[in-house]
Amino acid sequence: MSIEPITGRYMTVEVAGTPHRIYFEEAGQGRPVLCLHTAGADTRQWRHLMNDAEITASNRLIAFDMPWHGKSLPPEGFETEEYLLTTEAYIETVLAVIDGLGLERPVLAGCSMGGRIALQLAALHADRFSGFIAIEASDFQPAWYDIDWFHRPDAHGGEMGAALVSANISPYAPQAERWNTLWMFMQSGPGVFRGDLSFYTRDESLIPRLGQIDTSRAPVHIIVGAYDLTCTPEDAERTASAIPGATLAVMDELGHFPMSEHPEGFRPFFIEALGRMPSASAVAA
Amino acid sequence: MFDKFRQIQSRLEGAPHLLRLGRLFSETVLVVVDGDEFYLSFEKGRLLSVVNGPSRKTPWCFALRTDAEALEEFWKARPEPGFHDIFGLVKIGRGRIDGDILTLVKNLRFFKEVMALPRTAEEAVA
Repeated sequence: MSIEPITGRYMTVEVAGTPHRIYFEEAGQGRPVLCLHTAGADTRQWRHLMNDAEITASNRLIAFDMPWHGKSLPPEGFETEEYLLTTEAYIETVLAVIDGLGLERPVLAGCSMGGRIALQLAALHADRFSGFIAIEASDFQPAWYDIDWFHRPDAHGGEMGAALVSANISPYAPQAERWNTLWMFMQSGPGVFRGDLSFYTRDESLIPRLGQIDTSRAPVHIIVGAYDLTCTPEDAERTASAIPGATLAVMDELGHFPMSEHPEGFRPFFIEALGRMPSASAVAA
Repeated sequence: MFDKFRQIQSRLEGAPHLLRLGRLFSETVLVVVDGDEFYLSFEKGRLLSVVNGPSRKTPWCFALRTDAEALEEFWKARPEPGFHDIFGLVKIGRGRIDGDILTLVKNLRFFKEVMALPRTAEEAVA
């Protein structure tokens, strides 16, 4: 028998004037690191790092399920609403969680769409963060699939979504973690993956903002896996080169969900990334 | 290449979870390898027949067109990036998928795992 150190609670915050009940988890103490999951998934993607005693000895890892995802409810009236995530709502949600938890300039670590919004926040709200770890993150890629596939009355969007995103998992990933990663997509609520992909594959607004990111105020470190078909190393390199001072690491044996699909393979890259972020004392100073 | 499809046929018979996943899949899939046509006819998840083309009389649902070298890499336990998935082949310009894509997507896990059956358990390093 074992009990993990991760604890979970709920908070209610207002986004776009509407209350949202949000589930969050945390583990560790010290420098706050807010972790954002990918499209179509939830906080469970971060559980390996949150259970890593060496990392949590000096970092307070916090992850939350976006509204509509995981254990966070959709807003009241969702039954008649088409879920389409926007840059504005995503930013407002992240900032509302930071305010709600009273986090003082956390490091922001986001993967995929979480990495995209991390770069948006680096451009627009850098003062609220001490640094950015943008994983499988890039300026923009249009969809190489039809996002409407994943929300149809005649098929299971979760199973189709999982089958599609398996293309982004490295063959080096342990089988158990490959399938744990895909399970989250299989569980995703109807239309949620599609609504996330709408943000991820249609909003190009980050491209002209990359040049205004000031990495002297808050560092930006981008990490990308070679087996990521959605955000390829070329996409990440193009993005990093457009941000003055940004750094980049390429993981040869990982894919689009590194912290979830292959925790051991990702661990050294995340530790290196944390090392590039300001220490808690530097943030307080 | 024909032997590889025969291997898929026999391994599928030994994969009850795939037969269960494919229980509603009764379609003919065209696989074109270096221009050679192979018609894979599935019935309720079983691969009933593999027929060499060319054929102008065999209707098919969707097609995967690629080359033998790409498939050889695809069937390795740890293929190079892009060769690890049929959509990866498309993304890197070594494959093309056409026809009724929606039927493919509805049965995507089944078809991807069927196509990957030549990756032997011995080769599949954990």
